[in-house]
Amino acid sequence: MDNFEKHIRNNAAEFDEHKADRTKMWAKISTELEKEEPKVISLWKSPMIRVAASFLLLLGIASFIGLSIFGGDEQMQYASKELMDIDMHYKNLVSYQVKLVQNNPNLTDDDKAEFLSFMDELDAEYEILRIEMRNNLDNGRVLEAIVANYKKRIELIENLLKQINDSKSQDEDYGYTL
Amino acid sequence: MATEVRFTHKSLVESCKKGHSGSQYELFELYVDAMFNVSMRFLSSKEDAEDVVQDSFVDAFKSLKSFKYESSFGAWLKRIVINKSINHLRAKRITVVPMDDHEFHLTNDETLEVDAVDIKKVQLGISKLPKGYKQIINLYLIEGYDHVEIGEILGIATATSKSQYHRAKKKLVKIIKEL
Repeated sequence: MDNFEKHIRNNAAEFDEHKADRTKMWAKISTELEKEEPKVISLWKSPMIRVAASFLLLLGIASFIGLSIFGGDEQMQYASKELMDIDMHYKNLVSYQVKLVQNNPNLTDDDKAEFLSFMDELDAEYEILRIEMRNNLDNGRVLEAIVANYKKRIELIENLLKQINDSKSQDEDYGYTL
Repeated sequence: MATEVRFTHKSLVESCKKGHSGSQYELFELYVDAMFNVSMRFLSSKEDAEDVVQDSFVDAFKSLKSFKYESSFGAWLKRIVINKSINHLRAKRITVVPMDDHEFHLTNDETLEVDAVDIKKVQLGISKLPKGYKQIINLYLIEGYDHVEIGEILGIATATSKSQYHRAKKKLVKIIKEL
Protein backbone atom coordinates (compact mmCIF):
# COMPACT_ATOMS: atom_id res chain seq x y z
CA MET A 1 0.00 0.00 0.00
CA ASP A 2 1.53 3.34 -1.00
CA ASN A 3 1.29 6.68 0.75
CA PHE A 4 -1.64 7.79 -1.34
CA GLU A 5 -3.66 4.74 -0.35
CA LYS A 6 -2.66 4.98 3.31
CA HIS A 7 -3.59 8.65 3.38
CA ILE A 8 -7.08 7.97 2.02
CA ARG A 9 -7.73 4.96 4.24
CA ASN A 10 -6.62 6.91 7.32
CA ASN A 11 -9.01 9.70 6.44
CA ALA A 12 -11.89 7.53 5.21
CA ALA A 13 -14.23 9.09 7.80
CA GLU A 14 -13.95 12.42 5.96
CA PHE A 15 -15.82 10.86 3.05
CA ASP A 16 -18.96 10.63 5.21
CA GLU A 17 -20.37 14.00 4.30
CA HIS A 18 -24.10 13.26 4.08
CA LYS A 19 -26.76 13.15 6.78
CA ALA A 20 -29.65 10.72 6.48
CA ASP A 21 -33.24 11.86 6.88
CA ARG A 22 -33.79 9.66 9.94
CA THR A 23 -37.46 10.40 10.61
CA LYS A 24 -38.56 9.73 7.06
CA MET A 25 -36.45 6.59 6.73
CA TRP A 26 -37.44 5.09 10.08
CA ALA A 27 -41.13 5.68 9.30
CA LYS A 28 -40.76 3.48 6.21
CA ILE A 29 -38.65 0.86 7.96
CA SER A 30 -41.02 0.51 10.93
CA THR A 31 -44.02 0.22 8.59
CA GLU A 32 -42.28 -2.62 6.77
CA LEU A 33 -41.32 -4.33 10.03
CA GLU A 34 -44.86 -4.09 11.37
CA LYS A 35 -46.27 -5.93 8.37
CA GLU A 36 -47.10 -9.38 9.68
CA GLU A 37 -45.61 -12.37 7.97
CA PRO A 38 -48.35 -14.62 6.55
CA LYS A 39 -49.19 -17.20 9.18
CA VAL A 40 -48.97 -20.87 8.30
CA ILE A 41 -51.93 -22.71 9.74
CA SER A 42 -51.28 -26.37 10.17
CA LEU A 43 -54.50 -28.00 8.97
CA TRP A 44 -53.31 -31.43 9.94
CA LYS A 45 -53.73 -30.53 13.60
CA SER A 46 -57.52 -30.79 13.29
CA PRO A 47 -58.76 -34.44 13.37
CA MET A 48 -61.85 -33.54 11.30
CA ILE A 49 -59.72 -32.07 8.51
CA ARG A 50 -57.42 -35.07 8.68
CA VAL A 51 -60.35 -37.45 8.12
CA ALA A 52 -61.78 -35.27 5.34
CA ALA A 53 -58.42 -35.04 3.58
CA SER A 54 -57.89 -38.80 3.79
CA PHE A 55 -61.33 -39.34 2.30
CA LEU A 56 -60.61 -36.95 -0.57
CA LEU A 57 -57.30 -38.65 -1.19
CA LEU A 58 -58.92 -42.06 -1.38
CA LEU A 59 -61.60 -40.67 -3.70
CA GLY A 60 -58.91 -39.20 -5.93
CA ILE A 61 -56.96 -42.44 -6.13
CA ALA A 62 -60.15 -44.40 -6.90
CA SER A 63 -61.10 -41.95 -9.67
CA PHE A 64 -57.65 -42.14 -11.16
CA ILE A 65 -57.66 -45.94 -11.22
CA GLY A 66 -61.20 -45.96 -12.63
CA LEU A 67 -60.26 -43.56 -15.43
CA SER A 68 -57.13 -45.49 -16.27
CA ILE A 69 -59.05 -48.76 -16.62
CA PHE A 70 -62.29 -47.62 -18.21
CA GLY A 71 -61.83 -44.36 -19.98
CA GLY A 72 -58.26 -43.26 -20.26
CA ASP A 73 -57.18 -45.06 -23.40
CA GLU A 74 -57.42 -42.11 -25.72
CA GLN A 75 -55.50 -39.88 -23.39
CA MET A 76 -52.91 -42.57 -22.87
CA GLN A 77 -52.02 -42.28 -26.51
CA TYR A 78 -49.30 -39.94 -25.61
CA ALA A 79 -48.01 -38.50 -28.80
CA SER A 80 -47.97 -34.80 -28.42
CA LYS A 81 -45.64 -33.57 -31.12
CA GLU A 82 -44.99 -30.41 -29.17
CA LEU A 83 -43.81 -32.33 -26.13
CA MET A 84 -41.82 -34.78 -28.22
CA ASP A 85 -39.94 -31.92 -29.91
CA ILE A 86 -39.17 -30.18 -26.62
CA ASP A 87 -38.21 -33.47 -25.06
CA MET A 88 -35.77 -34.33 -27.84
CA HIS A 89 -34.18 -30.88 -27.93
CA TYR A 90 -33.50 -30.64 -24.22
CA LYS A 91 -32.61 -34.29 -23.74
CA ASN A 92 -29.78 -33.95 -26.27
CA LEU A 93 -28.61 -30.70 -24.74
CA VAL A 94 -28.62 -32.08 -21.18
CA SER A 95 -26.92 -35.37 -22.01
CA TYR A 96 -24.16 -33.54 -23.89
CA GLN A 97 -23.49 -31.21 -20.97
CA VAL A 98 -23.67 -34.01 -18.39
CA LYS A 99 -20.94 -35.82 -20.35
CA LEU A 100 -18.81 -32.68 -20.30
CA VAL A 101 -19.10 -32.56 -16.52
CA GLN A 102 -18.46 -36.29 -16.08
CA ASN A 103 -15.31 -36.14 -18.18
CA ASN A 104 -13.97 -33.01 -16.56
CA PRO A 105 -10.67 -33.77 -14.80
CA ASN A 106 -10.93 -30.66 -12.58
CA LEU A 107 -13.86 -32.04 -10.60
CA THR A 108 -13.54 -34.40 -7.66
CA ASP A 109 -15.59 -37.62 -7.52
CA ASP A 110 -17.60 -36.15 -4.64
CA ASP A 111 -18.50 -33.07 -6.67
CA LYS A 112 -19.57 -35.26 -9.56
CA ALA A 113 -21.64 -37.52 -7.28
CA GLU A 114 -23.35 -34.54 -5.68
CA PHE A 115 -24.11 -33.03 -9.06
CA LEU A 116 -25.50 -36.32 -10.43
CA SER A 117 -27.73 -36.81 -7.37
CA PHE A 118 -29.18 -33.37 -7.99
CA MET A 119 -29.80 -34.30 -11.63
CA ASP A 120 -31.53 -37.49 -10.42
CA GLU A 121 -33.89 -35.41 -8.31
CA LEU A 122 -34.76 -33.32 -11.35
CA ASP A 123 -35.23 -36.52 -13.37
CA ALA A 124 -37.74 -37.78 -10.79
CA GLU A 125 -39.59 -34.48 -10.94
CA TYR A 126 -39.60 -34.66 -14.72
CA GLU A 127 -41.16 -38.16 -14.68
CA ILE A 128 -44.04 -36.85 -12.55
CA LEU A 129 -44.57 -33.99 -14.98
CA ARG A 130 -44.50 -36.35 -17.94
CA ILE A 131 -47.23 -38.51 -16.38
CA GLU A 132 -49.25 -35.39 -15.71
CA MET A 133 -48.77 -34.35 -19.33
CA ARG A 134 -50.01 -37.70 -20.57
CA ASN A 135 -53.18 -37.23 -18.59
CA ASN A 136 -53.79 -33.74 -19.83
CA LEU A 137 -52.15 -32.85 -23.12
CA ASP A 138 -53.68 -29.38 -23.19
CA ASN A 139 -52.17 -28.37 -19.91
CA GLY A 140 -49.90 -25.46 -20.83
CA ARG A 141 -48.69 -25.03 -17.26
CA VAL A 142 -47.39 -28.59 -17.11
CA LEU A 143 -45.59 -28.02 -20.39
CA GLU A 144 -44.04 -24.85 -18.97
CA ALA A 145 -42.98 -26.78 -15.86
CA ILE A 146 -41.29 -29.42 -18.05
CA VAL A 147 -39.34 -26.74 -19.92
CA ALA A 148 -38.43 -25.06 -16.60
CA ASN A 149 -37.21 -28.42 -15.31
CA TYR A 150 -34.88 -28.82 -18.28
CA LYS A 151 -33.72 -25.22 -18.05
CA LYS A 152 -32.87 -25.78 -14.37
CA ARG A 153 -30.71 -28.75 -15.32
CA ILE A 154 -28.88 -26.80 -18.00
CA GLU A 155 -28.41 -23.89 -15.61
CA LEU A 156 -26.93 -26.26 -13.00
CA ILE A 157 -24.50 -27.67 -15.52
CA GLU A 158 -23.54 -24.24 -16.82
CA ASN A 159 -22.93 -22.97 -13.29
CA LEU A 160 -20.72 -25.94 -12.57
CA LEU A 161 -18.74 -25.46 -15.77
CA LYS A 162 -18.42 -21.74 -15.06
CA GLN A 163 -17.05 -22.55 -11.58
CA ILE A 164 -14.47 -24.83 -13.14
CA ASN A 165 -13.46 -22.18 -15.66
CA ASP A 166 -13.35 -19.46 -13.00
CA SER A 167 -11.14 -21.53 -10.72
CA LYS A 168 -8.88 -22.24 -13.68
CA SER A 169 -8.60 -18.57 -14.59
CA GLN A 170 -7.89 -17.60 -10.97
CA ASP A 171 -5.10 -20.11 -10.83
CA GLU A 172 -3.47 -18.68 -13.90
CA ASP A 173 -1.04 -15.97 -12.95
CA TYR A 174 -1.38 -13.54 -15.78
CA GLY A 175 -1.03 -10.43 -13.68
CA TYR A 176 2.56 -9.67 -14.52
CA THR A 177 4.07 -8.46 -17.73
CA LEU A 178 7.70 -7.90 -18.28
CA MET B 1 -13.42 -12.34 24.35
CA ALA B 2 -16.60 -10.28 24.71
CA THR B 3 -14.81 -7.00 24.00
CA GLU B 4 -13.86 -8.06 20.46
CA VAL B 5 -14.99 -5.72 17.71
CA ARG B 6 -17.37 -8.29 16.28
CA PHE B 7 -19.38 -8.25 19.51
CA THR B 8 -19.92 -4.47 19.36
CA HIS B 9 -23.51 -3.64 20.40
CA LYS B 10 -24.14 -7.30 21.18
CA SER B 11 -26.82 -6.63 23.79
CA LEU B 12 -28.69 -4.37 21.35
CA VAL B 13 -28.41 -6.95 18.60
CA GLU B 14 -29.70 -9.69 20.90
CA SER B 15 -32.60 -7.52 21.93
CA CYS B 16 -33.41 -6.86 18.24
CA LYS B 17 -33.36 -10.60 17.61
CA LYS B 18 -36.26 -10.80 20.07
CA GLY B 19 -38.10 -8.15 18.03
CA HIS B 20 -37.86 -5.18 20.43
CA SER B 21 -38.64 -2.15 18.30
CA GLY B 22 -36.90 0.26 20.71
CA SER B 23 -33.62 -1.60 20.26
CA GLN B 24 -34.16 -1.72 16.52
CA TYR B 25 -34.46 2.07 16.51
CA GLU B 26 -31.32 2.42 18.62
CA LEU B 27 -29.32 0.30 16.18
CA PHE B 28 -30.81 2.23 13.27
CA GLU B 29 -29.73 5.54 14.86
CA LEU B 30 -26.22 4.25 15.41
CA TYR B 31 -25.66 3.08 11.85
CA VAL B 32 -28.00 4.99 9.53
CA ASP B 33 -25.65 7.87 8.67
CA ALA B 34 -22.70 5.58 7.94
CA MET B 35 -24.85 3.29 5.79
CA PHE B 36 -26.42 6.23 3.97
CA ASN B 37 -22.97 7.55 3.11
CA VAL B 38 -21.83 4.12 1.88
CA SER B 39 -24.82 3.90 -0.43
CA MET B 40 -24.47 7.52 -1.59
CA ARG B 41 -20.90 6.84 -2.70
CA PHE B 42 -22.20 4.15 -5.04
CA LEU B 43 -25.48 5.60 -6.19
CA SER B 44 -24.91 9.39 -6.04
CA SER B 45 -28.65 9.85 -5.62
CA LYS B 46 -30.27 10.73 -2.30
CA GLU B 47 -33.58 9.04 -3.16
CA ASP B 48 -31.97 5.83 -4.40
CA ALA B 49 -29.63 5.67 -1.40
CA GLU B 50 -32.56 6.15 0.98
CA ASP B 51 -34.49 3.33 -0.67
CA VAL B 52 -31.50 1.00 -0.56
CA VAL B 53 -30.66 1.77 3.08
CA GLN B 54 -34.30 1.37 4.20
CA ASP B 55 -34.52 -1.92 2.39
CA SER B 56 -31.22 -3.04 3.93
CA PHE B 57 -32.34 -2.30 7.49
CA VAL B 58 -35.62 -4.14 6.94
CA ASP B 59 -33.77 -7.16 5.54
CA ALA B 60 -31.18 -7.01 8.32
CA PHE B 61 -33.77 -6.90 11.11
CA LYS B 62 -35.82 -9.67 9.50
CA SER B 63 -32.84 -11.97 9.03
CA LEU B 64 -30.98 -11.03 12.21
CA LYS B 65 -31.39 -14.57 13.55
CA SER B 66 -28.87 -15.71 10.93
CA PHE B 67 -26.28 -13.19 12.23
CA LYS B 68 -23.76 -15.21 14.27
CA TYR B 69 -21.10 -12.58 15.10
CA GLU B 70 -18.68 -13.82 12.44
CA SER B 71 -18.12 -10.11 11.81
CA SER B 72 -19.36 -7.01 13.60
CA PHE B 73 -22.99 -6.04 13.09
CA GLY B 74 -21.80 -2.91 11.28
CA ALA B 75 -19.67 -4.89 8.83
CA TRP B 76 -22.55 -7.33 8.22
CA LEU B 77 -24.99 -4.48 7.61
CA LYS B 78 -22.51 -2.63 5.38
CA ARG B 79 -22.15 -5.71 3.21
CA ILE B 80 -25.95 -5.85 2.80
CA VAL B 81 -26.03 -2.15 1.85
CA ILE B 82 -23.20 -2.55 -0.66
CA ASN B 83 -24.73 -5.64 -2.26
CA LYS B 84 -28.05 -3.90 -2.61
CA SER B 85 -26.40 -0.75 -4.00
CA ILE B 86 -24.51 -2.80 -6.61
CA ASN B 87 -27.71 -4.65 -7.52
CA HIS B 88 -29.47 -1.31 -7.84
CA LEU B 89 -26.81 -0.10 -10.29
CA ARG B 90 -27.05 -3.35 -12.25
CA ALA B 91 -30.84 -3.07 -12.42
CA LYS B 92 -30.35 0.37 -13.94
CA ARG B 93 -27.80 -1.12 -16.34
CA ILE B 94 -25.05 1.11 -14.99
CA THR B 95 -21.57 -0.31 -15.46
CA VAL B 96 -20.24 -1.75 -12.22
CA VAL B 97 -16.95 -3.12 -13.55
CA PRO B 98 -15.33 -1.72 -16.71
CA MET B 99 -15.39 -4.28 -19.50
CA ASP B 100 -12.13 -3.22 -21.13
CA ASP B 101 -9.15 -5.49 -21.42
CA HIS B 102 -7.77 -6.39 -18.00
CA GLU B 103 -5.33 -9.11 -18.96
CA PHE B 104 -2.18 -7.06 -18.60
CA HIS B 105 -1.23 -4.86 -15.76
CA LEU B 106 1.70 -3.94 -13.59
CA THR B 107 1.15 -4.92 -10.00
CA ASN B 108 3.91 -2.63 -8.83
CA ASP B 109 2.71 0.71 -10.03
CA GLU B 110 4.82 3.69 -9.27
CA THR B 111 4.34 4.71 -5.64
CA LEU B 112 2.71 8.05 -5.18
CA GLU B 113 4.18 10.62 -2.87
CA VAL B 114 1.00 12.55 -2.33
CA ASP B 115 0.66 12.51 1.44
CA ALA B 116 -0.79 15.90 1.77
CA VAL B 117 -3.39 15.59 -0.97
CA ASP B 118 -6.59 17.31 0.05
CA ILE B 119 -9.38 14.81 0.74
CA LYS B 120 -11.81 17.20 -0.96
CA LYS B 121 -9.72 16.88 -4.10
CA VAL B 122 -9.85 13.10 -3.82
CA GLN B 123 -13.63 13.24 -3.46
CA LEU B 124 -13.88 15.44 -6.55
CA GLY B 125 -11.49 13.16 -8.42
CA ILE B 126 -13.55 10.07 -7.58
CA SER B 127 -16.70 11.79 -8.79
CA LYS B 128 -15.00 12.42 -12.15
CA LEU B 129 -13.91 8.80 -12.64
CA PRO B 130 -15.40 6.87 -15.56
CA LYS B 131 -18.24 4.43 -14.85
CA GLY B 132 -17.03 1.24 -13.25
CA TYR B 133 -13.79 2.66 -11.85
CA LYS B 134 -15.62 4.52 -9.11
CA GLN B 135 -17.02 1.37 -7.49
CA ILE B 136 -13.70 -0.41 -7.23
CA ILE B 137 -11.97 2.68 -5.79
CA ASN B 138 -14.75 3.08 -3.22
CA LEU B 139 -14.61 -0.57 -2.23
CA TYR B 140 -10.84 -0.72 -1.82
CA LEU B 141 -9.79 2.71 -0.64
CA ILE B 142 -12.76 3.91 1.37
CA GLU B 143 -14.68 0.81 2.49
CA GLY B 144 -11.41 -1.04 3.13
CA TYR B 145 -12.18 -4.36 1.45
CA ASP B 146 -9.39 -6.54 0.04
CA HIS B 147 -9.41 -7.86 -3.52
CA VAL B 148 -10.82 -11.27 -2.54
CA GLU B 149 -13.81 -9.59 -0.92
CA ILE B 150 -14.22 -7.18 -3.84
CA GLY B 151 -14.18 -10.15 -6.20
CA GLU B 152 -17.06 -11.68 -4.22
CA ILE B 153 -19.04 -8.44 -4.14
CA LEU B 154 -18.66 -7.63 -7.84
CA GLY B 155 -18.68 -11.23 -9.05
CA ILE B 156 -15.24 -10.98 -10.65
CA ALA B 157 -11.93 -12.82 -10.20
CA THR B 158 -9.46 -11.53 -7.61
CA ALA B 159 -6.92 -10.86 -10.37
CA THR B 160 -9.50 -8.79 -12.27
CA SER B 161 -10.22 -6.77 -9.14
CA LYS B 162 -6.49 -6.07 -8.73
CA SER B 163 -5.96 -5.04 -12.32
CA GLN B 164 -9.07 -2.87 -12.48
CA TYR B 165 -8.15 -1.22 -9.20
CA HIS B 166 -4.65 -0.34 -10.47
CA ARG B 167 -6.12 1.17 -13.61
CA ALA B 168 -8.69 3.10 -11.62
CA LYS B 169 -6.10 4.41 -9.17
CA LYS B 170 -3.85 5.54 -12.00
CA LYS B 171 -6.75 7.40 -13.57
CA LEU B 172 -7.72 8.94 -10.22
CA VAL B 173 -4.20 10.22 -9.58
CA LYS B 174 -4.11 11.72 -13.08
CA ILE B 175 -7.42 13.50 -12.49
CA ILE B 176 -6.30 14.80 -9.09
CA LYS B 177 -3.03 16.15 -10.54
CA GLU B 178 -5.00 18.04 -13.18
CA LEU B 179 -7.36 19.64 -10.66
